Amino acid sequence: MSPRLLDRLRRPLAWADAGMNRLYGWQYNPLYHSGVIAAALFAVVIVTGLYLLFFYRIGAPYQSVARITEDIWLGQWSRSLHRYASDGAILFAAIHALRMLVQRRSWGPRTLAWLSGLVLFGVIFLCGWTGYVMVWDIQGEVLAREGARWMDALPLFSEPISRAFDGERPLPGAFFFLNLFAHVALPVGVGVVLWVHVARVARPVLVPPKRLAWGITLVLSAASFVLPVTMAPAADVFRLPGRAPYDFFYAFFLPVTMPLAPWTVWVLGTSVTVLVCAVPWLTRPRAEERLPPSTVDERSCTGCEQCYLDCPYEAIAMVPRADGRPYLLAQVDPDLCTSCGICTGSCAPMGVGPEGRTGRDLMTAAKLFHDAHPCGGEVVLIACQRGAGGVGYLDAFDGSPVFTVSCAGNLHTSVVEYFVRSGAGGVLVASCPPRDCWNREGGTWLEQRLFHDREAELQPRVDKRRVRVVFAGEAERGAVREALAGFRHDLAALGPPAAEVAPEVGAECEAPVSAMIGDGR
Amino acid sequence: MRALRRRAGAVLATTVMTAALVGLSRVPWAATRGEAGELRVAWQYKSQPVEECRQATPEELAKLPPHMRRTTICERRLRSYLLEVAVEGATMLADTVRARGARADRPLSVFARVPLPPGGYGVRVTFTPVGGGHAPLVAETTLAFAPRQVWLVTLDEERGTLVARDR
Repeated sequence: MSPRLLDRLRRPLAWADAGMNRLYGWQYNPLYHSGVIAAALFAVVIVTGLYLLFFYRIGAPYQSVARITEDIWLGQWSRSLHRYASDGAILFAAIHALRMLVQRRSWGPRTLAWLSGLVLFGVIFLCGWTGYVMVWDIQGEVLAREGARWMDALPLFSEPISRAFDGERPLPGAFFFLNLFAHVALPVGVGVVLWVHVARVARPVLVPPKRLAWGITLVLSAASFVLPVTMAPAADVFRLPGRAPYDFFYAFFLPVTMPLAPWTVWVLGTSVTVLVCAVPWLTRPRAEERLPPSTVDERSCTGCEQCYLDCPYEAIAMVPRADGRPYLLAQVDPDLCTSCGICTGSCAPMGVGPEGRTGRDLMTAAKLFHDAHPCGGEVVLIACQRGAGGVGYLDAFDGSPVFTVSCAGNLHTSVVEYFVRSGAGGVLVASCPPRDCWNREGGTWLEQRLFHDREAELQPRVDKRRVRVVFAGEAERGAVREALAGFRHDLAALGPPAAEVAPEVGAECEAPVSAMIGDGR
Repeated sequence: MRALRRRAGAVLATTVMTAALVGLSRVPWAATRGEAGELRVAWQYKSQPVEECRQATPEELAKLPPHMRRTTICERRLRSYLLEVAVEGATMLADTVRARGARADRPLSVFARVPLPPGGYGVRVTFTPVGGGHAPLVAETTLAFAPRQVWLVTLDEERGTLVARDR
């Protein structure tokens, strides 16, 4: 799949992100939390579904749903919330998949998550489909007929399933029983697939922020009161279905597939399925463009376990050393490593990271950058390559030179220290909002390393008033500009910075380690 | 003021997005266009087995081990039927219905649909055994189709005749 195509698809998403950030703030941007919102809404579906299940009758499906809607205490509200939450679940699941696709986070070690996500999507979809058939209104009948038509094209059944809906005989109760069984049993499988889905990430986030989760639930609850679901006309096999309300989220395909021959639908459906399953291979960069996995410099590793703790993909394990030193050694599994470079920022002695992006590499780049852009009291803007208003693609922004890193989490605090001590008026780090970090935890760890003493922390000798972080999405250049202006204004009050000549930041970081290892480096 | 505007915007956006979600959950649509009704022909039929025997050729016998050499080879199959649907004398459908299943030993399944605009029609459905065997099953009647109405011609198993019904 062409990277240019993915970039084009990403642009509208970036604009939508920017709009949502402006309205809700990046902490509560529902697009950033799309995956967990889908999971939370599915939980709402299960809770409301359990209540509805008490009153559903296989022998009188439409009548029992009508009774739920009209007579049962909170029945209409529960049914409406059940439907709106399931609509929301499929919508947010689709948004989540789209995000992963256009941000190219669906290949390599993330292949399992992509494929299991597709299974989850399919299961949620089937749950919805069977749920609509359970009601046995016009939409349920059309969905059942269409499914039967597809199945009849397969050489599996001795007589067409579609005949069940032709009025020759009453619809068997077994049909509604099987449908109900599938509707209830499928969600049980969701838990297992969800576990697989997050199996390769550390600290998987499974619930949205409380305010967001409650906010969405309350909004959908209010909608269920104000605009409750009503009963559509009952299914009647002796009348062709007329105009009726259809749920776009679960029946969107009907206008496309109904005029087509069943085999065409199978070919089309199989093609789409194969295509989405092949996304991890279609979006994988060419071998020469792929970033290398992290490696560990065994001489520098002190066994502190920080990289092991920080790795968002559990790609680092601590193993016994072969050289007899009394501490563990970090070991990167290249099959699990996404080359995010977050371990670079976690390693004080700069002993781990992807080739070309280790702490030492960044320090070298910072020194060259400083030589090319003598600071002279100006703010240095360090920008994440992926978000941060796209500033990472520029040489300079609003008069500040731009030092680009592949991810804010890749940034080693020594680089920040180097710029400040070299005479930069300040260092503004423009990062993607933490929930939108392409490497999951880059922004979060960066902030903790700079301001909350997480290893490898920014040293106390650095004036932290001269360091600031701005979280901005890809289409939020204005936010970076605003933050830069505000930062300059605040820096003016601090007076000119004290500049050291060629401060040896890297050596200071390594010194204690060298001493501890005692290898005379 | 700015924060207030932002909050108002958030409330408005939430309302619009929720309304869109609710609206999309109930989009009016007609799965079948127009007012045409449908003549549906559907039943299951246990076809009579037909046995066709012939004498095995000397070459065929020679290929078999001595203990399997039977001079008469018989093939059993279920009889096929010709289904014809005529509306106002015009043949709308003529199809051979064969036994189903991988070994073609399952009952015949008759299943066809003919769309018809609203109105009254003289309808004749015949189900004729291919190669004879018994008299064809016939349903000949006049049916009044209201908009979107479905008439089903099916087999009354008790009486062994084809009947038309709309319930």
